Amino acid sequence: MSFRDVAGDTGMHKINFPVFAVLLSVLVFGCGGNEKKESDDEPPAPDKLRIALIMKSLANEFFLTMEEGARAHNAESSDAYTLFAEGIKDELDVNRQIQLVEQMMNRRVNAIVIAPADSKALIPVCQRAIKAGIVVVNIDNKFDAEVLAERGAQIPFVGPDNRKGAYLAGAYLAEHLAEGAPVAIIEGVPSAFNAIQRKQGFEDAMNEAGMRIVASQTADWEMARANRVASAIITEQPELKAMLCANDSMALGAVAALRAAGRLEQVHVVGFDNISAAQELLKKGELLATVDQHADQLAVFGIEYALEMLKTGRAPSDHETPVDLITAAAAP
Amino acid sequence: MTSARLYRTLADYLGLGMVLIAMIAFFALKTDYFFTLTTFRTIANQIPDAVIIATGMTFVLIIAGIDLSVGSVLALGGATLGLALTGWGWPIYLAVPLCIIVGLCCGAVNGIMVAGWRLPAFIVTLGMLEAARGGAYLVTGSKTQYIGSSVEWINTWGAMGLSLPFLLALLVVITGQFILSYTIFGRSMFAIGGNEEAARLSGIPVAHIKTAVYTLCGGLAALAAVIHCSRLTAADPNAGIGYELQAIAAVVIGGTSLMGGRGAVINTFIGVIIIAVLENGLVQMGAQEPIKRLVTGAVIIIAVILDYYRHRV
Repeated sequence: MSFRDVAGDTGMHKINFPVFAVLLSVLVFGCGGNEKKESDDEPPAPDKLRIALIMKSLANEFFLTMEEGARAHNAESSDAYTLFAEGIKDELDVNRQIQLVEQMMNRRVNAIVIAPADSKALIPVCQRAIKAGIVVVNIDNKFDAEVLAERGAQIPFVGPDNRKGAYLAGAYLAEHLAEGAPVAIIEGVPSAFNAIQRKQGFEDAMNEAGMRIVASQTADWEMARANRVASAIITEQPELKAMLCANDSMALGAVAALRAAGRLEQVHVVGFDNISAAQELLKKGELLATVDQHADQLAVFGIEYALEMLKTGRAPSDHETPVDLITAAAAP
Repeated sequence: MTSARLYRTLADYLGLGMVLIAMIAFFALKTDYFFTLTTFRTIANQIPDAVIIATGMTFVLIIAGIDLSVGSVLALGGATLGLALTGWGWPIYLAVPLCIIVGLCCGAVNGIMVAGWRLPAFIVTLGMLEAARGGAYLVTGSKTQYIGSSVEWINTWGAMGLSLPFLLALLVVITGQFILSYTIFGRSMFAIGGNEEAARLSGIPVAHIKTAVYTLCGGLAALAAVIHCSRLTAADPNAGIGYELQAIAAVVIGGTSLMGGRGAVINTFIGVIIIAVLENGLVQMGAQEPIKRLVTGAVIIIAVILDYYRHRV
């Protein structure tokens, strides 16, 4: 066990290993037990379809909502298919996700619905799954089109158009601004496909309406980071009229920065994702708008598409799911 | 001896202060609005939680330990605060102590494992980093909790143009430095960091002091959580990721040795300010992410190199 090695290397003595072993096993098996759903070990009825849902970090509210939606859908139509839902611990743990796909192949699932942690690295393993006769549907983070074409792989993407969603928020914001107003964009992780799409959508809307983008900085999807970045931007841009944030967590951070600077009245903020905390700000009028891409339905759309492909055997093609603008007036 | 030490401490401050002034001057020339009151007020509003965490980290590094769990403990403390205020409807004067107690408990667990069982601090606090993060996800249900006005006042209330969190951070720094310089506890920390075996042989209760230091560090992380939540008016389960490394960077920029036995809270305070000035200045310059990371990394390394030569002579 690695604990013993580590302790040995550093010359530690007098460690109560039995106690540790017990503690460790409680931890390991305790956690493992929670993750497992009873359906995992049961052999399903032979005629029932087996669908695997492989997501990114389940610690992220977004994927948690996605999983809950899928489970609810599964509960409603439990005679149609068995669901295996798995996530990775860290959003960037590509290796673990590849292992998950392999495990699902070993479990002989009929279809894999995957939100890939990396838009390129997961393609080979998914291709192997397809060769093994498994239907693969891509959700959330779109596979890289070039790599797909190069490898001759056909994996359908079922999901929202992030660029369009961001454009909707941007266009709504533009209605509240005078032409030529200076605006800033708070970006997501620069390498992420959806972050790039959202940034482009914001830019499309701002350029079309003739606004000036005076700053565009990443805050890595993070609230506290966005708070610091936004504070610095509003100091440097005293005339700033709006901030377009690529997710709601960052919008929350930006709103807090504006509040601290006493500039909430002058600067509009829009976000993306429609998380519950953002709805509070919408009601208070501190957030102008956000975009709902129906996180709870994203996995469901993928599962339904996979079911359809299994039933009809139709050729894979991309399928766009709805994105909706949420404004203060429309907030529940 | 006292005057020699005083002189060296003074030299340390001057060295760091000059780096800071040079940076401020650079950004003032390069941007339109960096050299304004707003910038400094913004920085003062942003650093209190980092200052408080880094103070705890200074103590831990002085005893030649390390605490990687502070970011997660901050998240767990904040999550508890959020749950107590919104979920259970507790008043703030009960929720804040609960949050601090959670932090102290995490720190105490670290301390007992490190000091009592003599396990490597790196591994123990790495374990706590995972465990406390898991706790934060459990408590919040992995969702950002909006708290609202019940914590907002902490951040807006202030005196003499300085916010309550900033005053609190100043208080922590002054008290921390006082403890280090003028109490037996503080001197024992230096002794343990310098040579643990010698400290034990000279009758210093090493295990107790180490446990106390880790407990204090956890408690300070929770105090930082209160400030963090009040600034964002929300409890974020992903709060504080990477704060442990930022805190270590600030402490090391401030000249505290990773090998223990040497350090000062006031220098750490300046270290935090240097990092904050750097981040704000680079954003105001409109620098892109790769450049920001390159520059920040370079500054940390240069600071350590300078420190190395300063202490070798």
